[in-house]
Amino acid sequence: MATDPRLARLDPRRTATPTQPPPPPPPAKSDQKPLGGYDGVEDADPMAVSRNEEGGFKLKFCTVCASNQNRSMEAHLRLSLASYPVLSFGTGSLVRLPGPSITQPNVYPFNSTSYSTMYQELSQKDPRLYRANGILSMLERNLKVKWGPERWQDWPIGKPRLDQQREDKGSRGAEGGVVDVVITCEERCWDAVVDNLLERGSPLNRPVHIINVDIKDNHEEALVGGKGILDLADSLNQAANEERRSGNGNGFDERVPELLAEWQERWPQLPALWTLGWF
Amino acid sequence: MTLSVPDQLAQLEAARQIVLADAGLYPQIVQGILPIVGANARLELRRWGAEFLAETFASPTFASYQKENSAVGVLQILKDLLEKPSEDAAVVKSVVQTAASIYCLVFRYIIANPHDVPVWNQMASIKSNILKRWDTAATGVRICCIKFVQKVVQVQTPGVIADPRRPDQNEVSIALVPRDHPLIPPPRLEPEASGLLDRLLNAFNEDKSDAVLINATLNCLGTLLRTRQSIANKIISAILTFNPMKQANSPMTPKVRVQIKSMERTTRALLMNVLRRNENGPFVDRIKAYVDRLARIRLDVFDEGSRKRGLPSEPTDGLDNNKRRRLGAELLERPEPEPLPPGPVSLGQLFTLTKDPALATFDVTSLTLDIMVRIIPPVLVRIDQQALDQALNHVRARYLSLTKPPPQALGDDEEDYEPDFEPSEDREQIINKADALPPEDPLQSPSEVALGPFKLPQPPPLTAEDTMQIGKGTISRVFSMMNVLEEAPLAKKQRSGLNRLAGSSYDKEAWTTVITRLATRASAGLDDDSSEDDDSKTMVEKQVTGSSLSDGIRQTLWKFIIEDFRTRIPVAIAWLNEEWYNDRIQKQSSEQQKDGVTLPKPKQHYGKWMLRVLDGIVPYLDAKDKHLIKFLSEIPEINANVLGRVKGLARDPERVQLAVNSLLYLILMKPPARDIAIDALEDLWRNYDDAKAPTAKHLAKWRPQVLASERKPSPAPAPNGVQHPKESKPTPSSAPSPPVEVEGEQMKNSQAGQVVAAAG
Repeated sequence: MATDPRLARLDPRRTATPTQPPPPPPPAKSDQKPLGGYDGVEDADPMAVSRNEEGGFKLKFCTVCASNQNRSMEAHLRLSLASYPVLSFGTGSLVRLPGPSITQPNVYPFNSTSYSTMYQELSQKDPRLYRANGILSMLERNLKVKWGPERWQDWPIGKPRLDQQREDKGSRGAEGGVVDVVITCEERCWDAVVDNLLERGSPLNRPVHIINVDIKDNHEEALVGGKGILDLADSLNQAANEERRSGNGNGFDERVPELLAEWQERWPQLPALWTLGWF
Repeated sequence: MTLSVPDQLAQLEAARQIVLADAGLYPQIVQGILPIVGANARLELRRWGAEFLAETFASPTFASYQKENSAVGVLQILKDLLEKPSEDAAVVKSVVQTAASIYCLVFRYIIANPHDVPVWNQMASIKSNILKRWDTAATGVRICCIKFVQKVVQVQTPGVIADPRRPDQNEVSIALVPRDHPLIPPPRLEPEASGLLDRLLNAFNEDKSDAVLINATLNCLGTLLRTRQSIANKIISAILTFNPMKQANSPMTPKVRVQIKSMERTTRALLMNVLRRNENGPFVDRIKAYVDRLARIRLDVFDEGSRKRGLPSEPTDGLDNNKRRRLGAELLERPEPEPLPPGPVSLGQLFTLTKDPALATFDVTSLTLDIMVRIIPPVLVRIDQQALDQALNHVRARYLSLTKPPPQALGDDEEDYEPDFEPSEDREQIINKADALPPEDPLQSPSEVALGPFKLPQPPPLTAEDTMQIGKGTISRVFSMMNVLEEAPLAKKQRSGLNRLAGSSYDKEAWTTVITRLATRASAGLDDDSSEDDDSKTMVEKQVTGSSLSDGIRQTLWKFIIEDFRTRIPVAIAWLNEEWYNDRIQKQSSEQQKDGVTLPKPKQHYGKWMLRVLDGIVPYLDAKDKHLIKFLSEIPEINANVLGRVKGLARDPERVQLAVNSLLYLILMKPPARDIAIDALEDLWRNYDDAKAPTAKHLAKWRPQVLASERKPSPAPAPNGVQHPKESKPTPSSAPSPPVEVEGEQMKNSQAGQVVAAAG
């Protein structure tokens, strides 16, 4: 049926997308071909080779943001695609997704709502809106990465993660339920993590580096931040492997501030903060 | 052992998967792998083994009682690995971690088995080995040594015994150890813990602080602060002497930036955690001050990201207090000047450095000029350059701190993070907040398009009819006001006597005043254009044309009073008094203005409206009504017409007494009206049979000659010609009689009598 071109302007489907979010990720078939980034661009990845030849030693990572939806999940995906063991968490009290207005967010409890549940619910509520603001594409990506958002404060550190998490991306190598490096995406999350670890009383006696990489909470910045975090992970992992090979240097931990400083020179738009804490 | 290392590792990994899935199998698996990963195994296996042991004894799923037994079993291998010359750092790191985890397990085992000397000796040698490495090992190992020491301090400092009957439930600490324990006597272990703590805290006083070690120390002190109150004070004091910005004066390489920032933030995180846990602790104020200072210094050091600057407020060179003690450097003790009080500061305060209050208040201007001239040169000669510089610096620092805006308060709300792109408050809260904002100053933010002053156009002039309508609307509103107020319970009336100001209290009385004055005075002289002689005619005309505004008010007032005269008699009295007063005023002013010009005589209202009111109420009076007497006593002026109405009452045999009493009251209480009242009484006596008896006794007193003349037959009418009321019934609009003044004008009394006669 022919349409009046003048009416096109009134068609919300054509006008209501001022910021087109990135396209949904390609279907995850990591066994068929190496996946590029979430933005679909094949990155020239100089680290890919070294990552695979390092005799299997990999630092274990954990990414943290507020709702375990956007920034931490983008980084989770990137790190897991680079075959690092990786977990991800949120430090907020609830999972919050933008709603029809700024005062009507969609709120879900942590740990008990899966990404696919949210996806189904929101696509029934208002598919046009949530497609337009990128929430549905984000959930599509997330549900291919892991089951659902987890809250940092509820994480039983050191409890083996074997069963339901088997399917999660990045779960291989993180079965022990501990990580070497926690990367938060906002200073308040860093504060929350450091404070929470103090509260837990460090019963595991295991050192952990807690690094904040400040990323604005939107789809575009999350992409940039994900790349930055992968770069950071690569340089940390490379150093860890060097130290492991030498066997009697000052060790990986000693080098973290310097590595972070070097990384910061490369990524000046992502202000970093670090401390060494205990699980 | 023919398997290759990768195969062995794969097998070990498979075993690990088993215990991860079923923690109950840990004891067997640990026993099983120990021979494979011993000190003589290949590096890869030792690494794997040490890591596995660290993971095992940290695991929250591995039950505590089983851990204790396994811990005793692994002591030997840990000792062997530690004592292996030039052991791989990663292995040592894992071993020290394991040791930190099992120290309290072994300690508890020894409490229960005080005679197992070999076990304790193994643990002791592991401990001393680790302590030896503490200062020299690779950083990665040293941080684990720090954690181990923290565990040792925690165990060897008395903790809280929650339940003495169940030692296995309690946290392991020296408090559980009997005083006479042969292996771990508390009197020996406690001082050891204290010494280790000192060594741990010494990290904060090192000249060059390694951020990794400092952060590792800070982050493990949190547990001690929470669980060991006895040493909390010592720890906090040590932290408060720590200056994370020590290196800010050295060249600010990116690495130094990362280190300084991280130490500062970690220190702050720990202190805030302490603050939040006990908000009333003894060191709260000191912590707050320290955190504030830290924030200030950070602002200076990291000001807007890249500007490099030294520490302004605290010298960290050789003159730092801690250093000074160590260097033995002697500094002249200079009295620190008082800090400036908060709030606005005068110039005098700014420059006053002395602490002596007498000196500070000394007014130099009181010295004469020649004395000053004599004093100053020797002072200038002898002045200590250093002291002067210092004083200048103090004033400069004060001035800078005053001109600089105060540092940003720390955003310390540590509650759960809420992402900021979804506001946590609802719409209403936002609106409330917006309301609370200061109103925008129009002067500060002039709008883009300035509007000229806007003037409403003059309304079209009202027509006379409109004025009348609107006036009536106003009147009816005032009356409705009076009605409403009437229903309100009468508040206790305050009698303010002469100071009373009419219409100031906005109660019913006030509105009454307003309405009566509106009726009488507002338009006085304006609509009294009609001359008196054709008064009756104009009245008719006016009633036809809707009357003047004030007559309208009078009409409404009259109706208002008649509707319920018993309660509204006071209104009537007030109104009639106003009318009478207004009549007099009008009359006076018209007399004064008689400069040849013939002004029309002002219209008199009092008499007319007084009679109307009386006519309105008289038919409804009953025999015992006191309202008539009240009315008659309080209206300002009585004339024969009034008394005619009163006499009319006597036609009703039931109300004769009322008429007589009213007259008697006037005779007794109103001397100016006495004569006409006696006349009226006499008339009653003569012409009303029912009134004969009641009037006779009063006449006997006031006019006995009448009674006497009666005894002589004289049927003639009254000599003064007072007529029967029937015949002399006046119309309300009848010509007003010249008034009889209530007070003072007694002379007119006789006149009044004549007037009455004339009227007939």
